[in-house]
Amino acid sequence: MESQDKALLERKVRKAFQVLVLQRGRNPGVKGWEMKRYLGLDYRGIMEVLAEDISGLGLEVFEVKGADGTDDSSRFLLRFRESPSVSEAETSGIRIDDLAVLAATIAFINSKQGRAARKEVEMFLREKFPKWRVEYSLDRYVKRGYLDQDDRTMLHTGWRTHAEVDEKTLMTLILSRAQAAPAK
Amino acid sequence: MEENRLEDLLRVIELCRSVESSSANPFDVDIREKILLLKNKLPEWKLLEELLVDSEAMLELTQIVKLQDEWLKHRASSLYIDPLLIQLKVKLLPKEALTEAFVKSWHPVAQLDQISPKGLEKAFVYWRDLSPIAERFKEEFGTYGTRPGVIDYQELVTLGVFTKTQFEEGLTELQAELVDKTRGDWIDYMEFIKSPATETRVRRAYLLAFLISEGRATLKSEPLTGKIYITALSSKAKGPTKSVAISIASGD
Repeated sequence: MESQDKALLERKVRKAFQVLVLQRGRNPGVKGWEMKRYLGLDYRGIMEVLAEDISGLGLEVFEVKGADGTDDSSRFLLRFRESPSVSEAETSGIRIDDLAVLAATIAFINSKQGRAARKEVEMFLREKFPKWRVEYSLDRYVKRGYLDQDDRTMLHTGWRTHAEVDEKTLMTLILSRAQAAPAK
Repeated sequence: MEENRLEDLLRVIELCRSVESSSANPFDVDIREKILLLKNKLPEWKLLEELLVDSEAMLELTQIVKLQDEWLKHRASSLYIDPLLIQLKVKLLPKEALTEAFVKSWHPVAQLDQISPKGLEKAFVYWRDLSPIAERFKEEFGTYGTRPGVIDYQELVTLGVFTKTQFEEGLTELQAELVDKTRGDWIDYMEFIKSPATETRVRRAYLLAFLISEGRATLKSEPLTGKIYITALSSKAKGPTKSVAISIASGD
């Protein structure tokens, strides 16, 4: 009987891994209600077991709370436990300038209590980056879910930022960085 | 008169909208004061339009309350840092330092973007059951649809767009106009065929194409600006000819 339970649990953990790792639809991750459907009511317990299993691989199960804060609206996804190095990030095809734009945008939006007019963000970024890069990068990050743009063209941090970026660490790191030495 | 009566409400709506579409502090709107204003004005409204403006003002105020709630939550969170300080810091930091700060706080999502056997089967079934493109168009647009093609002069006459006399007269008139406007010089093609009515523009372009094909006029294009110039010819042109496609969709 015990071995049957163990086999069932293993099967559910495998299933949990499969549904989390395979992208369904446009965005990665699986909603709470879907998890319930795939794994049953005790899906949180199964995900705890999965989290232990995958920690050795440098991965973790991460929960992004939904707008209404319910379990059903939460989005679960797999993400790296540790941050990559700058060179690793570069090898994945992302340009340093693009990441700098995103870092500056998230910091700016957070400094404006979580919402800022797109025009304002563009003006701020254009002090540091060329116009074409600012517009291109903002559009791209809105499309990829790092930023949200509402019908009043106000920018907010998007679900992907909440999922992938430790915003508190980002703000602390930006504040603690020494500024560049003036050019001689 | 009605505008004046509603002025206060319209001002409330405008104020709320300006706060919603900027990063201004939502607490700049005194909700209590505005609600009292709406309450005092409510008995005055008799018409449906007035009541609608009143409810719109109320809706905008609720949006501001929502923003105030978000603002407070954010300020109470550990993410709150003096805006001026963070903006100054971002301005002063080099791109590399910003990137490094981002990467150190970044945990990329791990995912596989690939088709599963089930997905492959679905795709196969979809492809197998998909009717040919011509069939699908038939359902959507009926059976009359034809692809864009070339229509010649004879067909236009048959369709009754031109009679033979009208066509000849049109050609002569257009050639006379061209001679008059060019006077041995080159003029802009688009300017020449320009007309407020699309039909007239298309007609002029068609007749002009005929004049050029007949060798009674000629054209040249400037590759750098993309502009096309035309001129009338006193004698029929000889030598090799070539076909040029010109879009007249944005002629004005």
